[in-house]
Amino acid sequence: MNALASGFLLNWRRTARRSALLTLPLTVSITCFLLPLLFLLVVSFLEPSQVDLYGKQATFSNYGHVIGDEFYLKIIGRSLFATVIVLAISLVLAYPAAIVVARFTPKWRFRVLAILLFPLMVSNVVRAYGWIAILGRHGVANTVMLKVGFIDAPLPLLYTFSAVVVGLLTILLPYMIISIANSLAAIDRSYGEAAQSLGAGPWRAFWHVTLPLSSPGVASGCMIVFFLSLSAYVTISLLGGPRFKMLVSLVFDSTVAYQWPRASALSFILLLLGLGGGAAILAITRPGRVRGRSR
Amino acid sequence: MKFKRGLLYAAFGLCLALVLGPILVIIGISFSPIDGFVFPTDGMSLRWYRAFLESDRLWGSFLFSFRVAITVAALSLILGTLAALTLARRSGGATSAMQALFVAPMVFPAIILGLAVLLFVRVLNAPLWSGLIIAHVLIGAPYCFRMVSGSMQAFDPILEEASQSLGAGPLRTFAYVIVPLIWPGMLAGALFAFIVSFGENNAALFLTAPGYSTMPIELLGFLQFPGNQLIVAAASTVQVGLIVLFILLMERLVGLARIVRSDQSR
Repeated sequence: MNALASGFLLNWRRTARRSALLTLPLTVSITCFLLPLLFLLVVSFLEPSQVDLYGKQATFSNYGHVIGDEFYLKIIGRSLFATVIVLAISLVLAYPAAIVVARFTPKWRFRVLAILLFPLMVSNVVRAYGWIAILGRHGVANTVMLKVGFIDAPLPLLYTFSAVVVGLLTILLPYMIISIANSLAAIDRSYGEAAQSLGAGPWRAFWHVTLPLSSPGVASGCMIVFFLSLSAYVTISLLGGPRFKMLVSLVFDSTVAYQWPRASALSFILLLLGLGGGAAILAITRPGRVRGRSR
Repeated sequence: MKFKRGLLYAAFGLCLALVLGPILVIIGISFSPIDGFVFPTDGMSLRWYRAFLESDRLWGSFLFSFRVAITVAALSLILGTLAALTLARRSGGATSAMQALFVAPMVFPAIILGLAVLLFVRVLNAPLWSGLIIAHVLIGAPYCFRMVSGSMQAFDPILEEASQSLGAGPLRTFAYVIVPLIWPGMLAGALFAFIVSFGENNAALFLTAPGYSTMPIELLGFLQFPGNQLIVAAASTVQVGLIVLFILLMERLVGLARIVRSDQSR
């Protein structure tokens, strides 16, 4: 009894001590992440000011301006359109690629996933520059096509909507492939075999068994792609050119113009769109169907 | 069946080309002996690497980025390890809420994080570079948290109890029992935080100033003006080389399997 009590006491003391370790990271997260965001939210409801960074009067006009202005609405529409296109293409390309990756032996699977993980660590600026070097007027694509005699004059490939889409795919495909491949690799093969032995063709087995079981990976991949393609400022501005604007470009422009209340309001509109997109993705893919697995 | 397989491999190949193509092209053109890209290339040269080393702006920003990244890695390691020591073996509502809070900055739009931190720094009248460090630590610490959590979950808690029942205090248990078991995770996390900070360019947009500018931001400046851009290719290739080196280091020390797995649900 005594041993039990002292053991319990030891355990309890250890738990308490361990919790004390949390103080520092928790303080940092709250003061440096949550508080600044809360402050940003407050500023988005304050009047702009000529002399200070923001005025003192509370107002809804920062949001009102954006929602009431056709220019802004058009850009928001374009951002959503680009994001949905990127999401669709990356899903169509990444799912089959993930099937290939999931079929490798574990050793090779990890090697391939590491190869896909490596570009994620390379700066977005560098990867966008790669496309500039390929698509530019004197870039690789135009030079080669001219030399071969395929075209007579350089094509305007850069600073187009397609260039932005391709650049975003470069950044985002690895996330999609890695998250789908991991969830495909976790599916027990015997499920598919069971479906086929019960008379389902390969397509039907895929549609009713494999696809639903991979929904957690599809959902997390889609959410990352949606969120990041809305906010990938550097890629959008380098490949779309100075006149190609998306919502995130407006955040940047108003920040450098010191219109902080406007920039804050635009930020929260972007976050809201991201959350809405995330909710829509969850509603469509329904990852909650898959239970009893570690993730 | 064969056709279907062909389609799958075609998609896989296209993905690899889209993801790796731009990086390979940059490495290729960085050795160009002349100002522009010519096809077929005639010869190779290291002149752009030399130009990179001699450019005060780029080389200076490289060194600044390096210093920032080391600071960020150290701070991230401390914060991530402290959080992981406590949270890795617990479960429940409060634990998952705190885990979500620690990991959130990883997927949060970095440009908005940068704006929020900029505002914060301005209001407090703190120097801009401290904002850069804060933003990068917020983004880097989750990697350390994830990696160390993975290491914590991989060993039997009975080892800790054994150490304590044999009379070791908490600090000695940490130094002689826990650290030897989790150091691969700590190291991998710190390396990740370093790399992420070194290449980060969306939060850094608002948090840099002349003289306190990271390499990606300097490269962005070079790219926004037409003219000689091959120096950017050389600088980029140096960055890529550094990352490859770090990945090989991690593979040696921790093993790729674990890195890929703990990165999956980010």
